[in-house]
Amino acid sequence: MLNKKIKFSLGIITLMLTLLLGSCEDVLDKEPITELTSEQAFENEESYEQFMAKIYGGLAINGQDLDDADIQGIDGHFSNYVRLYYNLQELSTEEAIIAWNDGTIHDLHNQVWTPANEFIAAMYYRIYFQIGLVNQFLRETTEDKLDGRGVDDALKAKIAEFRAEARFMRALSYWHGIDFFGAIPFVTEDDVVGNFFPEQKSRTEVFTFIESELKDIEPLLMAPRSNELGRADKGAAWMLLAKIYINAEVYTGTARYADAMTYINNVISGGYALGPKYNYLFLADNESNGSQNESIFSVRFDGINITGWGGTTYITHAAVGGTMDPNIFGIDGGWGGLRTTSTFVEKFEADLTGLNDGLGALSDWGLVGSATTNGWDGPDMEMYETSTDNYALYATLVAGEIKFRFDEDWGNNYGSDNNDGNLQPGGANIPIPADGVYFITMNLGNLTYTLSPFSGDTREMFHIDGQSLEIENPFDFSNGYAITKWRNVDVNGNRGVDGSGTFCDIDFPVFRLADAYLMYAEVFLRGGGGDAGTATGYINMIRERAYGNAGGNINPGALSLEFIMAERSRELYWESHRRTDLIRFNQFSENGVWPWKGGVIQGTTTAKTRDLYPIPSADIIANPNLTQNPGY
Amino acid sequence: MSANNNPLIVIDGVPMDQEADNAPGLSSVNPNDIESFVILKDASATAIYGSRASAGVILITTKTGHRNAPLRADFSTWVSVGTRENQVSVLDADQFTAAIQSQGIENSIALLGENDTDWQDEIYRTAIGTDNNLTVTQGFDNSSFRASVGYTYQEGIVKTDDFTRKSGSLNYRHNLFNDTFKINFNIRGTVSDKNNADEGARGNSLTMDPTQPVYSGTTQYGGFWEWLDADGTPNAQSPKNPLGLLEQNNSVESIQRYIGNVKLDYDFPVEGLKANLNLGFDYGQTDGYWDVPATSASGFDDLGTTGTWNNLRRSTLADFYVNYLHEFEKPHKIDIMVGYSYQDFYRENATYQISGQGAIRETEFATTNSLLSYFTRLNYAYDNRYLVTFTYRRDGSSRFSPDNRWGNFFSGAVAWSIADEAFLRDSETISTLKLRIGYGETGQQEIGSDFGYLPVYTPGQNNVRYQFGNRFINTLRPEGYDSEIKWEESATSNIGIDYGFLNDRITGSLEYYIRKTTDVLSTVSPPAGSNLSNSLFTNIGDLENSGFEFSVNADIFQTDNFVWNVNFNATYLQNEITRLNAVEDPESPGLAVGGIRGGVGNTIQTQQVGQAQFSYLVYKQVYDSDGNPLQGVYEDLNGDGQWTDLDKRIYKNPNPDYLLGLSSYMNYKNWDFNFVFRASLGNYTYNNIASSEGNSTSLFFNGTNRNIHDSYLDTGFGEVQLWSDYYIQDASFLKMDNAVLGYNFNNLKEGEVIFRIYGSVQNAFVITDYDGLDPEISGGIDNNFYPRPRTFLLGFNVNF
Repeated sequence: MLNKKIKFSLGIITLMLTLLLGSCEDVLDKEPITELTSEQAFENEESYEQFMAKIYGGLAINGQDLDDADIQGIDGHFSNYVRLYYNLQELSTEEAIIAWNDGTIHDLHNQVWTPANEFIAAMYYRIYFQIGLVNQFLRETTEDKLDGRGVDDALKAKIAEFRAEARFMRALSYWHGIDFFGAIPFVTEDDVVGNFFPEQKSRTEVFTFIESELKDIEPLLMAPRSNELGRADKGAAWMLLAKIYINAEVYTGTARYADAMTYINNVISGGYALGPKYNYLFLADNESNGSQNESIFSVRFDGINITGWGGTTYITHAAVGGTMDPNIFGIDGGWGGLRTTSTFVEKFEADLTGLNDGLGALSDWGLVGSATTNGWDGPDMEMYETSTDNYALYATLVAGEIKFRFDEDWGNNYGSDNNDGNLQPGGANIPIPADGVYFITMNLGNLTYTLSPFSGDTREMFHIDGQSLEIENPFDFSNGYAITKWRNVDVNGNRGVDGSGTFCDIDFPVFRLADAYLMYAEVFLRGGGGDAGTATGYINMIRERAYGNAGGNINPGALSLEFIMAERSRELYWESHRRTDLIRFNQFSENGVWPWKGGVIQGTTTAKTRDLYPIPSADIIANPNLTQNPGY
Repeated sequence: MSANNNPLIVIDGVPMDQEADNAPGLSSVNPNDIESFVILKDASATAIYGSRASAGVILITTKTGHRNAPLRADFSTWVSVGTRENQVSVLDADQFTAAIQSQGIENSIALLGENDTDWQDEIYRTAIGTDNNLTVTQGFDNSSFRASVGYTYQEGIVKTDDFTRKSGSLNYRHNLFNDTFKINFNIRGTVSDKNNADEGARGNSLTMDPTQPVYSGTTQYGGFWEWLDADGTPNAQSPKNPLGLLEQNNSVESIQRYIGNVKLDYDFPVEGLKANLNLGFDYGQTDGYWDVPATSASGFDDLGTTGTWNNLRRSTLADFYVNYLHEFEKPHKIDIMVGYSYQDFYRENATYQISGQGAIRETEFATTNSLLSYFTRLNYAYDNRYLVTFTYRRDGSSRFSPDNRWGNFFSGAVAWSIADEAFLRDSETISTLKLRIGYGETGQQEIGSDFGYLPVYTPGQNNVRYQFGNRFINTLRPEGYDSEIKWEESATSNIGIDYGFLNDRITGSLEYYIRKTTDVLSTVSPPAGSNLSNSLFTNIGDLENSGFEFSVNADIFQTDNFVWNVNFNATYLQNEITRLNAVEDPESPGLAVGGIRGGVGNTIQTQQVGQAQFSYLVYKQVYDSDGNPLQGVYEDLNGDGQWTDLDKRIYKNPNPDYLLGLSSYMNYKNWDFNFVFRASLGNYTYNNIASSEGNSTSLFFNGTNRNIHDSYLDTGFGEVQLWSDYYIQDASFLKMDNAVLGYNFNNLKEGEVIFRIYGSVQNAFVITDYDGLDPEISGGIDNNFYPRPRTFLLGFNVNF
C-alpha cells in the first residue's frame, strides 16, 4: 500500500514538474515590443535612412519625442546641439549676453566657468552622442553585415553614400570637440559599446584624423548642391577642411593657410551664390527664398515636424522681450534673454570720415541749406572731388533743403528747378525729405546730381526702443540693445507653419558662402595665397549685398586683419562663429575687453587658458585616462 | 543607490507587481479584509521569496470564511475631514511690497497691486472623505465563502483633487476528498475614478504675486487674474493663476485593478507529503483624459489642448511546490520543500494629444519581462528547541543576457529556543528566550529597462523628424546598453534574540543585521565615447547597510476591566558605500545625484566611497558676527583663494540614524484608546524651495513680479545660492501618526451583534525643527511636495 501510494505521489509530482518545467527556460528569452532589436530594425530597408535622419537630426532635435531626451542630466531642450553650440560660441564673446538665471549660464559670458558647468558638460556629451551614433551606423553597415541581411546592390549604393555623409558628420563633431576641448577621448566604429575607458588623443592627433577622414570621403560625396537639401556634399567637406586648416595654427601649432586657400577656392567655385538680401537668410522660408543658394550646409527646422525648444526656436524666442512685438518675429511670446553689448553695436557706426576720405581730395564746392549742419549761413559742408567735374559727399542731414555753391559764395551756386536730378545755375532749393545720412554726388560736366539715402549696413538690426546701450544689470533684458536678426516669418511677413508660434521653421546656416569669401580675404592677408584684388572683390560682394548699393565698398587699402575680424562679426554675428574667430585672432581671453567679460562691468582680460573649455568633471571622474586642460 | 528599495508585498501568496503605479497593490486591499499582516526582515525568511524581497517582505493574508459558520455580516463606515497643517512660508503682501520697492526697479514697482492674497489658501481646502464596506461570510460543511463590497470617496486637500473607488472581493474555499484536496479561490477588483488637480498649481501658488487679486473682474481667461503683455495676451513666461489652473484644466482617469488567484493544496496519501499549486494574475488598466481649454491663459497660444493616456499592466504567476514534513523518533522533525515559481509581466502605455492649432504629439511603449526560480528549503527541528534552516534558490531573469541570467542564492539560519531548555522550561520570569542567527542571499533585478543588455533601436515620433529635400523622415535611435549587466546581490547576516518575561507579559527582540550589497544596479555616466548614451544603467559598486533593532511589547495592565499594551521599537541604521566601480580614486567627489530646481541640471547629492548614500555635497556657509549668512562667501576649504567646486564638502545626508516607534493600546470596559508615535532622528533635508526661491533676483523676472521664499528676510541673498549648507536642515521629527478612541457596544441582541463607534485623528501632530513643509520627504530634497493633511475621522462598525 505504502509503495503504491509513494509511487502514485511521485508520479503526480513528476508530472506536474515536467509539465510546468518543460519548456521553461526559454520563457526568459524575451524580445522588446515597441523598441526594435538590431535584426528587427534593419529588416526594414528604410531604417538605414531613418538612422541617417537621426544622425543629421541629432543637431536639430532633442530626443525621440518632444519630452524624450538624448542626453540625460540636463533638461532635454537645454541639451539641443544647436542651442548649446550657440551658447558656447556666442555667450562667451562680445556678441551676446543672456538675462536668465539658469544654473551657471552667466559664467559663460563672464568667462569664469568651472569644470562643473552643466552647459559645457551637456555640449561635451552631445558631441559624443553624435559620434556614438555615427560609429554605431558604421558598425551596422559593414559589408559583412549588409551581406548577412541580404541587402541588394541598389540599397548598398545608397548606403555607401550614407556612410560617407555619416563620416562627415562625425568629422564635424570631432572638429567641435577639438575646438572646444583640445585633447579629447577618441573612439571609432572599431571600438566596442560598453563601459571602458577611451584613450585621450591630442588635439593634433584628432586634427589629423579629421583631415584624413574628409579627404577620404571627398570623392564619395555628391557634387556641391546636387544632394537633397539638408544632406552633406563635397562643398560641406571642402568647407570643413578649410575651417580646420584656417585654424590649424591654433589646433596644432603649425599654420596651414595655403591648404585652407585650396579648399576655399573649391567652395567658391562650387556654384554657390549670395542670397538676395541679408535678412532673408534668417527667415522662416530661408530654404526657398533664394538664401538656399548661399547655404553650404544647414541644420533644418520645421515648426510642425522638426520641433523642440532648442535650435532656431531658442535663438528666436530668447532674443525677443521688452517692447518688441512677438508677432513681427512670428512667435507666441519672447523669452527675454539674449541681447548684445555696446562693443558689438559700435562695429556698425558708419565711419563717414573714413568713407569721405576715400572719395578723393577736398574741394571748394559745398552744400548749404536748412538741411545742413550750419543752415543757410554756412560754413558749407565741403564736397570731395572724385574726378574732373565730379564731386561727392557722405553727409548727415536733417529734413530741409540744400543747394550747391562754390567757395561759400552765392555768386556760383546750383539748384534744381524741377527736383529731377538736373542742375540749373541759381536753381530752386533741393528738398531733403527726412533726417538721415545721404550720399550726394554732383557732375558739373553734364550738370546732374544724385541724392540717395545712405541706407547703411542692413546687417545692423537692433531694437533700441526701451533698451539701453550699456548694461548695468546683466540679468535685466532691457540693458543692452536687442537684436532682430532671426525671425520666424517668411519674406512677406507671414508666420511659419506652426500657427501657435511655438516652434520655428528657420534653418540654421552652419556654413555659407559669405563666410568663405571672408575666409579668402583672411587667408590672403595671412600669406596663404590669393591676391588683394580678388579678396577685395569678395568683400565688396558681401558689402554690396549688405548695403544694397556700392555705398559700403572698400578699397584694397582698407583690407587688414583688424578689418576682417570686425567684418566677420558684422556678417556672421549670432551664427556661432565668434569664439573660434576671436581665438584665432588671439582676442578671446588675454586680449580683448568687452562689457562684463571677466565678471566686471567694463570688462577685463582673462587667463589664456580660457581659450579651451574644461573637460567636464563628470568625465574626468569616470575616465582615469583623461587629463584636464590647464588652468582648471 | 540600490535599484529597488520597496518591500515586496505578497497578498495571499501572489507577489504584487512592484512597478505598478496605478493603485499600488497595497491600496487594493480593504483594511477590513486583512487577517494578518506580517513583516519579514530576517534574511533567511525573505530568501524564500527571492529576488524581489531584497528590501523585506510584507505578507498579507486576507480573511477567509470559516467552515460551518453561520451567516454573518459586517458593515463598517467612516467619514473624515482633512485639513492642511502647514504651509510653505513665502512673503505676505506687505513684505512683498517692501521687498519690491527696495529693489528699486521702476518697471517692477509699477506692477504692484493693492490686494492681499494668500495664494496657498486659495488652492487648498478642507477635504472630506467616506468609506463604506459590507462583508458577508458563511461556512458550510466543506466550504466557506467571504464576500465584500466597498465604496470610498476621498477628496484631496488641493481643490479639484478627488477619487471614488468601488471595490469587491470574494474568497471561496472548498475541501474535497476528505479534506485532502483544498481549493482556495480569491478574487479582488477595484474600479476607481480620479480627478487630478493640475500639477502646476501648487508650485504657482508659491510664486504668484500676493498683491494681485484672484479674479480680474472681466470674463477674459475664465475671469482669473493673469499676467498679460501690453497687447492683452497672456505673458508666456510668467506663472499662471493657480486657481485658474485648478478650475479650468481637467484631468480625469478611470482605473481598474483585478487581482485573483487559485490555490490548490493536495495532501498525498503518503503522510506528511503535500503539494501546492498557486496560479495568480494581476491586471490593471488606466484610461485618462485631460484638457486645457482655449479660453484659459495656459491654453491661449495652442488654442487649447486635449489629450489621453492609457496604461495596462498584466502579470501572471505560477507557483508549485512539494512539501514533506516528517517527525521521526520524536523529537526530530524534518521539513523539506522543493518548488519553482514563474512570473511574467507585461506593460504598455500610450499617450496622445492634439492642440487647437492641430499640433499632434503621441507616444507608445510596450514591454515585457519574466522571472523564473527554482528553490528548495530544508528545516530541521530537534525537540522544538534547536532549529536549523537551509535554503537554496536559483533565479533567472529575462532582463539579463543569457550569460548573466542566472543567480544562485544560499541562505541558512539556526535558532535556539533557550527558554525551552531544561533549566528554563518552567521559568515564568523568562518565558521566552530564543537566539537566532541567520544568513541570506538575495538578488535584485528591478531595473529601469527590460532589455538593458541588448542593443535596441527606438523609433522617433512625427514631431521630431528630419528633412531631406522635401521629405520628412522619422528617426531611429540606438539606445545605450550594457551587455554585461547582471544580478545585484545582497548578503545579509543577522543575529537576534527574542525574549519574553513574566509569562510573556513582556516580550520583544534585539537584533543586529549587516547587509552587504555587491554589483549595485544604478545609473551612472559612462566615460564619454564608450557607449551610446551618457546615462547607463549598470552595476556600479558595493554598498553596506547595518543596524541594530530593539523592540519591546508589554502588557502593562491586564485586568478584567483594564488592559494596556504598549509596544516600543527602536532601530539604529548605518549605511555606507564601500566601492564604486567607475571611480578608482578614493579622493574623488563621487557620482553626482539628486537633481534640484533653480536652474538646469544642478545636483545637490553625491555617492562617494566611504560615505552614506545620497550625501549632500555643499559649500560651508560663512556667517557674520550677528549670525547672518554672507552671500556667496564660503569657507575656502582647499585654501586656493577661490570659491570653486573643490571647496564643496560632504555634509549630512537624508538617511535617519535612528527610527523609533511607540504604539499603545488601552481598553477600559467598553472603551478603547490607541495611538501610534513615530520618530526619526538624524535625517537632514535640503530645503530646495528656500534655496531656489529665497533671493531677490527671483522677485522680478522677464517683466513680471514673483513671490519668493521668506528665508530671504533672514539671508538677504540677492542671487540664488543653491549649494550653501544654510539650506541643509535637521529634519528629525516626532509624529503622532494616529490616535483612536472607540466604544464597543458588546451585549446587543445576546452577543449576536457587535457595534463599535470610534473617532480618530491621523497625522495628529509633528514636532520638528525643520521649517519646510514636512520633515518626512523621501530622498531628502524638499521641492514640490504634496502636503500631508491632518484628518479627523468618525466611524462605526457593526457585526451581525
